[in-house]
Amino acid sequence: MNLVEVEFTLNGKKQKVTVPPRLTLLEVIREHLGLTGSKRGCGKGECGACTVLLDGQAVLACLTLISQVEGREVTTIEGLAKDGQLDPLQEAFVEEGAIQCGYCTPGMILSAKALLLKNPTPDEEEIKTAIAGNLCRCTGYVKIVKAVEKASRKMAEVAAHD
Amino acid sequence: MTFNYVGKPVPRLDARPKATGETKYLTDLTFPGLLRARVKRSDYPHALIKGIDVAAARALPGVVAVLTWEDVPGYNGFGIVVPDQPVLCRDRVRYLGDAVALVAAETEEAAEKALELIKVDYEPLPVVEDPREAVKPESVRLHPEGNIHQHNLVTFGDVEKGFAEADLIVENYYVTPRQMHSFLETEGGVATYDPDGGITVYAGSQHPYRDQLQIARSLNLNPRLIRVVSNPTGGGFGGKDEIVVQIHLALLAYHTKRPVKLWLSREESVRVGIKRHPEYLYYRTGVKRDGTLVANEVKIYADTGAYATLGGPVVSLSVGHACGPYRVPNVRVEAFCVFTNNGIAGAFRGFGVNQVTFAMETQMDIIARELGLDPLELRLKNALRRGDLNPLGFKMETSVGAVASLKAAAQSELWQKREEKKKGATLPWKKRGIGLATALQGNGLGAGRPDYGGALLRLLPDGTYEIGISCPDIGQGNSTAYAQMAAEALECALESVRVYTGDTQRTVDSGSTSASRSVYTGGNSILAGAPALKERLKKAAAHLLGVTEDDLEFIPDGLKSKSTGQKVNLAQVAQEMDRLGLSREVKSTFLWPAAEREIEGAPGLPEIIYAYNTQIALVEVDTLTGKTEVLEVVSVPETGRVINPQGVEGQADGGVVMGMGYALMEDIIMEGGYYKNVNFSTYILPTALDAPKHNTIMVEEPEETGPFGAKGVGEVVCVPITPAITNAIYDAVGVRLTKIPAGAEQVHRALRAQGKS
Repeated sequence: MNLVEVEFTLNGKKQKVTVPPRLTLLEVIREHLGLTGSKRGCGKGECGACTVLLDGQAVLACLTLISQVEGREVTTIEGLAKDGQLDPLQEAFVEEGAIQCGYCTPGMILSAKALLLKNPTPDEEEIKTAIAGNLCRCTGYVKIVKAVEKASRKMAEVAAHD
Repeated sequence: MTFNYVGKPVPRLDARPKATGETKYLTDLTFPGLLRARVKRSDYPHALIKGIDVAAARALPGVVAVLTWEDVPGYNGFGIVVPDQPVLCRDRVRYLGDAVALVAAETEEAAEKALELIKVDYEPLPVVEDPREAVKPESVRLHPEGNIHQHNLVTFGDVEKGFAEADLIVENYYVTPRQMHSFLETEGGVATYDPDGGITVYAGSQHPYRDQLQIARSLNLNPRLIRVVSNPTGGGFGGKDEIVVQIHLALLAYHTKRPVKLWLSREESVRVGIKRHPEYLYYRTGVKRDGTLVANEVKIYADTGAYATLGGPVVSLSVGHACGPYRVPNVRVEAFCVFTNNGIAGAFRGFGVNQVTFAMETQMDIIARELGLDPLELRLKNALRRGDLNPLGFKMETSVGAVASLKAAAQSELWQKREEKKKGATLPWKKRGIGLATALQGNGLGAGRPDYGGALLRLLPDGTYEIGISCPDIGQGNSTAYAQMAAEALECALESVRVYTGDTQRTVDSGSTSASRSVYTGGNSILAGAPALKERLKKAAAHLLGVTEDDLEFIPDGLKSKSTGQKVNLAQVAQEMDRLGLSREVKSTFLWPAAEREIEGAPGLPEIIYAYNTQIALVEVDTLTGKTEVLEVVSVPETGRVINPQGVEGQADGGVVMGMGYALMEDIIMEGGYYKNVNFSTYILPTALDAPKHNTIMVEEPEETGPFGAKGVGEVVCVPITPAITNAIYDAVGVRLTKIPAGAEQVHRALRAQGKS
């Protein structure tokens, strides 16, 4: 079988995999590396549940071939918390009731993270646009948007202190 | 009444691990030596099977097992009410999702290849597509008893006499779509085989104990040998109430003696999974000039698809709710639940109430306009009050919140400022409108069927409590509500309580998570068991402190003597209970109150407990494109005592968007029994950009029989929003929608026909 060797940074740590080249990033993360936080909702880029960060940008892991991450930085939901401390987005999602079944949550948080990395003070329309590719069937998006707003305010406070 | 935890917006106790990715959903599980399974499904919507050849598939390297009907040791059928759906088809397929063979292989690739090598010889049969045609005697029969799975006919009063008294009669024909649950996690899971012959099935579902029964029946095994774990799961909404993958998983584990994973792709889930019943509804409503309803005649054809599942009860609820939350003295409701080859229709949030509410609330809107009456006043005038007879002649003796919900809706800012809000259109060719609708939703399984609950309450040696209730948490947060109610009932700290749901090994059978019943059932089960456990705690504490039991009161971590002030903590009490031989465990049971008699012509009716909801929608219609945007919504649910306001808000937020999708964009289109749209680029779900501003005003009419006065929330929140939106479209542009979804093309065509575009 034809295998390909891919080296990349995963959640801050160097990672090397030797896998069939047709595998997607989602398949490698979930099946080969055991990180099941990234979810499969449709397998073809229509629901956003597999969203991860690639060099800080939100991408759909189910549409990213593994070779495409060679030499790049991948962040999954498992990589957001630092030393046991939750990311302000994660805290806000928990506090604001933005999580019901939770299946869309990892992808949703990462889409929001990508937004806040680029635009730390988004308005409601900008938040909705950033998560427009993340489907949620439980929450009606209301508390999700509130959580992102709360996180951006918290992060602005922290930034003001630094 | 003040409570420590009930009524407080306690953040979901399962939220943190979901936010970090730690939560393992059942499709995330893996085991050493895991086999991958696939299902060979029918190529035709309706056909005879002349032969099944699996030889080549079995011989493929990497394939461990290929199973057919011959490999089903027990009953080759499943179905919640009538087990008429084959586990593996032997001589006939009736819809595209029917299973013909199972494959288990070492890799996904081998399993997929094996599917291609399975040869099934089909003889296609004529396809039955339209329930109105399927009822005719000359139609091809899908089942031996014919195509009418259930026929309801209920009358109350004299409908012809009622129409004779009417000053206005409104007649219309309504059509509702095939909505899909679209939970984000598709059906799937893992089954493992224990060396002692036991099987564990991990698969998202809404009733693990019933799954256990259905698995046991097909595998010819004692149910005690089967453990079912059914949560956490990524959404259900009724679509995971019936068996999907569970028996297939168990069969494969049973035959291969290895762990097996089966996980449906999204396209397979669309093809296989149940849907909301499309209904064709004929309504004739008679009313007096002052708005008093005098007669309602309804005829419904419901497309139930290939197999029974919960089709009968869904249509019974359509019948029971067909006249809305009103007094109607003369009624005739007839319904046909009809088999076709159009997939399968079954349980879906709202359960038959969505369709008839769309129809009836549109009738009410038309009536209000024809008579020049305020739409809210018209509804208030006719609304049921406690003690009234409902439209099927059943006396409403439990909490009735219709009036409270409507009155609070009338006071909402959106309703008070509606004329002003309508003037705010952003562009000259966009028109705004306001629409209103109200509904009731029966909770519980209804009359004549066992609607039971149970809870396991256990004090652990470390002084914490375990509560085990089988109703799975399918995302709605019943597990957090259980913790709140348990902490309240046991008078302990919330942190001391750990709740288990959805696992037959850790819980007692409390029935399904469905019918808006899980909080009512689980809460009442907790309240049924807590006193006995507390009594034993008091006995042990009394021993430890040398006081009488009457002298003791509960404090967050234990008990205290009122007279001496001395305390003992729960760990000490647990130890003392063991020493005294007092069991630290209670298993409680609970039975739903039920009507003494079923309503004639309507099996399963009436329910006893009802939740209520009024929703108002502000929409903006683009007259150039026909597209409708929902700008703002107010929901006024009346669901008894609110256990967790953050939870109720979350359910209402989600319900609005789900009901909005039903109104504007969602429909699984079928032609000749084939699916025309099978993924999310062609089955359109609302996104964050579609979601309106939403405010929930909670109104409480505590229900005496409910735990702390609670009723059910889960379904009523997604029901009246649909006609509220279509009524708002009429208000905006004068287009009356009797068929949903009201997509842009439909609205645009109507506008052109009226010369308005």
